[in-house]
This record gives sequence, structure tokens and C-alpha cells, in this order.
Amino acid sequence: MDHGNESDLVERCRLGDEDAFQELVDRYKDLVFALIARTVPDRSRAEDIAQDVFLRIHRGLPYFRGEARLSTWIYRIVANVCLQDQTRGRPSVSLDDDRHADLAPSGSDRQFGDLELRDRLEKAVARLPANYRLLIAAHYLKGVNYEDLADALQLPLGTVKTQLYRAKQQLRRLLETELK
Amino acid sequence: MFCDEALDAVEAIASNDLAPDGRVAAHLSTCPNCAAALVSARALEQMLQRRPAPSAPSQFTSRTLARVRRARWRNDQFLDVGFNLAIGAVVLAVLVGIWVVVDRSGVTTVSNQAVDFLGSRVIAFARRVAPSLPLYLGATGVLASVLGIWWWAERDARL
Repeated sequence: MDHGNESDLVERCRLGDEDAFQELVDRYKDLVFALIARTVPDRSRAEDIAQDVFLRIHRGLPYFRGEARLSTWIYRIVANVCLQDQTRGRPSVSLDDDRHADLAPSGSDRQFGDLELRDRLEKAVARLPANYRLLIAAHYLKGVNYEDLADALQLPLGTVKTQLYRAKQQLRRLLETELK
Repeated sequence: MFCDEALDAVEAIASNDLAPDGRVAAHLSTCPNCAAALVSARALEQMLQRRPAPSAPSQFTSRTLARVRRARWRNDQFLDVGFNLAIGAVVLAVLVGIWVVVDRSGVTTVSNQAVDFLGSRVIAFARRVAPSLPLYLGATGVLASVLGIWWWAERDARL
């Protein structure tokens, strides 16, 4: 989405154009939902949080000054909402826990085989600290690069990379030790 | 080179952010543990890249818009009640103010006398009340302004 279209859409939303806000939701819902669903295992809870994000976007649009890209601002809101949700308490997940069964694999994913390993991966990700989970979720979504992440989380680029490496290191160790 | 140094670089190498330099490459080629860690990190990298991105439910947009509308309605109601309470408080304050002004200027006493001495004392009563009239008119003006603002705000909210 180019900057002109983006600022036009934001302006229309600010003027109370409900169709414009619907367009904004349609454009970003998959990205927002995927980010949240990757950090919150319960799908209905993920939807609830995703709706919270759009509610905050709706409330915040009058104050959005356009200094950052709209997508960056949205990532920031997602990060805040997810991290706030985690501070409310999250049950620990065992790698043998079956609660993640609702994250059904897509047809193309089946081609890569080893669903059990992927299931273990989801459970291992669920055991990471909230900030690591969010980084892993965001970085491996199409179109979210290091720079966007650094902007969204208001962290230096080097810090984002370091935290991401640590997250993957922890994830690898979790998988290696718990799978033995 | 120690294993700790090589292991710290494994994730960056696996994600192609770092090309292993001579020392790291040499260590990885001789240390089976670190080499296995790199293989494992590369496998994890591939799994993470293939991790499916869940799509939003089909009714997500309509449910979100309904929730936004509900939240906005609740917010409007809250503002409306707050505004009405504020206006009520202002009207009450104005009425109390008028009562205080009337009481202190002795109009009540004058009014009682006027009832008693209707007729020949009407002119005398009017003369006594006349100095307080600007106060009454001022208070009435404030009250009318407040009611006017209330009406305007209610009309604006309905649009």
C-alpha cells in the first residue's frame, strides 16, 4: 500500500467514514490476526485480542500523525496489546499438551511432513517469553523485516536481531532437550 | 576458538545474516557438537519459515465493526450522561445563586409586604424592587444561556 493511499485512507477514517475503516480492517486483519494467533494459542482469544487491536486503532486514528507508516503503528499496537495480555497471566504449556490442536496445518504445510514436529514447535514457541514469541511471530510473517520490527517495538535494529537470535537459540534448546 | 563463541553465531549463520568467517568455519568443521547445533538451527529456521500464518475468521470484519460501533455508542452514552449531569449541576448552582441573591436583597420580605399592602403600596414596592432587577435579569440570562447550550449539544448529538 503506497503512502498516498495510506494517508488518504487514514484521513477518511478520521472523518468518520465507516467504509474507510472497514477497508482498513480488511487490509490488515490477516496480518494482525496471524501475528496474534502465533503468540496466543487459543483461537477465540486471539480473535478477541485482534478485535481489541482494531478498537485501539479506531480510537487512536485521530492522534496518528503519520510520522511512522500505518503498518508500523499497527505492529506497535499489536505488540502492546499482546504483551499486556501476557502480563495478565499465562498458563505454562507442556510440549505434551494438546491444547494447540486448533492451530490446524494448512494443506501446503502438510507437504512438508512431520506434523508432530510442527506441533512440538508450536508448543515450544508457546513456552518462550512473551517478547521472544512476538518477535518470532512477527519476523516470520511475510513482509515484516528487521527494520519494521525495530520501528514497531521502538528498539535499535541490533537489539531486535540479538533478541531474535536469543529467542531462536532458546527455542532450539527447548526442542532439543524436551524432545529427547 | 571456544564452542561458546561458535554457538553464539549459529543462529545468525542459519538465518544467513552472517557468513561464517575463517575461525568459525574452521571450528564448525572440527567440532561435531557445534556442527550439529548449526544443522539443528538451520532445520529450525526452515520450520519457522514454513510455519503457517493463520487467516482471520470469515466474519472477523463484521464482528470487529459491530464491536467498534458498540464501543462508540457506549462512549457517546457516557459522554451524554456526564454532560447532562454537568448541566444539571450548573442549573442547580444558578438556581441556588438566584435564591441567595433574592434572599439577601430582601425581596422575599418586600414581596410579603407587597401582598399585604396591595393597591396603594404597589408603586412603593416597585421602587424598592427596582434596584435588584438587573441581578434577576442577569441570572435569567445565565440560565437561558445554559439551557440554550444544552439544547444545542443535544441537537448536535442527534445529527
